[in-house]
Amino acid sequence: MDSTYFQYLDYAVYGTAVLVMLIGLYAALVKKSLLKIVIGLSIVDSGLNLLIVTLGYIKGGTAPIFSPGYNGTQAMVDPIPQALVLTAIVIGFGVTAVALSLVIRLWRHHHTLYIDEIKNLKW
Amino acid sequence: MVGTPVLFIAIPLLAAFLIPLTGMVWKESVRIIPGLILAYLLVLAINLLSYVTVNGPIVEVIAGWAPPIGINLVFNAFSGFLVTIMVFMGLLVWLYSYRFKSNVEYEAARKYFLLLMMLVTGSVGIVLTGDIFNMFVFIEITGISGYALTAFYTGRDSAEASFKYLIMGSIASVFLLLAIMIIYSQLGTLNMADVASKMHLMDPKYKAVSFILFVIALGIEAEVFPLNGWAPDAYAEAPGPVGAAFSGIVVKAAVYALIRYTYTIFDLSGAFDLLIIVGLMTLVIAEVAAIRQEKLKRMLAYSSIGQMGLVFVSFGIGTKEGVFAALFIMLNHAIIKPLLFFSGSYLVYHSKKKTISDVDGMGKLAPFTSLLFALGAFSIVGLPPFAGFWSKLSFLMAAADSNMLLIIGLILTVSVVELVYYMRVVNRIFFFKRASHLLARRPTFNAYIVMSVLAVLILVIGFYPDSVSTYLHNAANSLFDKSQYIHSVLTATIQ
Repeated sequence: MDSTYFQYLDYAVYGTAVLVMLIGLYAALVKKSLLKIVIGLSIVDSGLNLLIVTLGYIKGGTAPIFSPGYNGTQAMVDPIPQALVLTAIVIGFGVTAVALSLVIRLWRHHHTLYIDEIKNLKW
Repeated sequence: MVGTPVLFIAIPLLAAFLIPLTGMVWKESVRIIPGLILAYLLVLAINLLSYVTVNGPIVEVIAGWAPPIGINLVFNAFSGFLVTIMVFMGLLVWLYSYRFKSNVEYEAARKYFLLLMMLVTGSVGIVLTGDIFNMFVFIEITGISGYALTAFYTGRDSAEASFKYLIMGSIASVFLLLAIMIIYSQLGTLNMADVASKMHLMDPKYKAVSFILFVIALGIEAEVFPLNGWAPDAYAEAPGPVGAAFSGIVVKAAVYALIRYTYTIFDLSGAFDLLIIVGLMTLVIAEVAAIRQEKLKRMLAYSSIGQMGLVFVSFGIGTKEGVFAALFIMLNHAIIKPLLFFSGSYLVYHSKKKTISDVDGMGKLAPFTSLLFALGAFSIVGLPPFAGFWSKLSFLMAAADSNMLLIIGLILTVSVVELVYYMRVVNRIFFFKRASHLLARRPTFNAYIVMSVLAVLILVIGFYPDSVSTYLHNAANSLFDKSQYIHSVLTATIQ
């Protein structure tokens, strides 16, 4: 097996995950619409989850389950990052739900989602 | 022993889910049950704290997986001390908000107390847990209930303040998870004690990056400049008791987390200097911002941020005296700031804009509330014989022992600024003529009790500082005894 090819592929997966995070951060920090900010935060979460799963991957590893066909010699991927990602996804879902309900409240109050028009509070 | 540390998390979490169900049977139970639980937890915390002082730390193994594999809870003199403060503050906040103005309705009260229980669960969990990922989960629990409590009033600008808090909080959680995963990918463990004992194996580059990510993430919750943009808005727009809960419970937990990472887990040499620099910036900018605030609650919020800056400088000194002073300041801040929030919110109760000029002449209309506000103000700027004097004195002595004379000079200068803006309010309360036609609002019976308890505590600590200093010394010693922490966690067995 050509190992260098797979190393580049490894980096490509890390790079993709970081790229997704950066796209999300860009949306969260630059966009002016409240909904786009929420979507951006959600994209950052997805990128981070992708990164975490990648960290636990072992080349040629199988799912970390002792199923009947398992012969005891094959490598398994690290199960902990996968468990952590499940938790992180649930938390991200909760935060997104709260954020969207706040957006609805702000819409009812101001009748706009444009962040420059909602500026009653400042430093 | 009468109980185990896991009850601090299990009971309030269970109660938060059961409150809506018991409310269907008996509506008053949604108010009563949280109070009973917090009172029980306070008794438990005091019992366990005295047990720990004699017998050493309690390490509880959860679900039968011994460390470093499973999650464990650590109740030692340091975390136990903070848990006691936090549960006590939770009890006072509960008592104050028992029939708070927006809670009179059943529907609102149910949500409010549910969220309050979640807030206490999360904050206590942050302090007790011995697992870095578990700490992330508790920080998120605290965060989500904090966002919802900030937006509790449907009118005003509370949704905006809450949205700001949410954006900063969720970016913080991304950084936190990234830092945790850097540690996991390098060391292959999530247990704090295990991470601390293996930390020297980690590449310094990774170590520095993950430490900085931790500081950014926890700094947002701990109101450190320049990450505290959410705090003044959240304090000003949230209901009065929620502001007190933030300053008394949530911020304490975040500061604990940051200190645990700096002192126990990471062994970076520049970390203490970073704490001092960040603390000084926070202190100076917050106090300067406080003096130009027009709204009373925003002024108190900035003052709260400033106190946190002082705590960080004090932890950054890096000696036992410094930690002692930092814990003393945290204790005093947990007592004094809620008193100021409670009495202050009654002084501007009927005012629309809640500005400082609305308190003119309130000394005659509401003498008791005004007196308590003045007591809190005198105490927080550090006038003797109140509690704040001793904490500031011990801080100055700790700094002097480490030859940090410039810092002493800066802190004293900033204290003058603090004195100016607090005395301006007190002066307006007692010596200005009443300009507006605002009536004073009589505090509820519960509010009287809560404020009196806090005032008595300020006086007791002011006259007998020795009454708390033993606990503070134990807590400071236990923070410094890193090898004992690691040893007691890693040798813990299933009881």
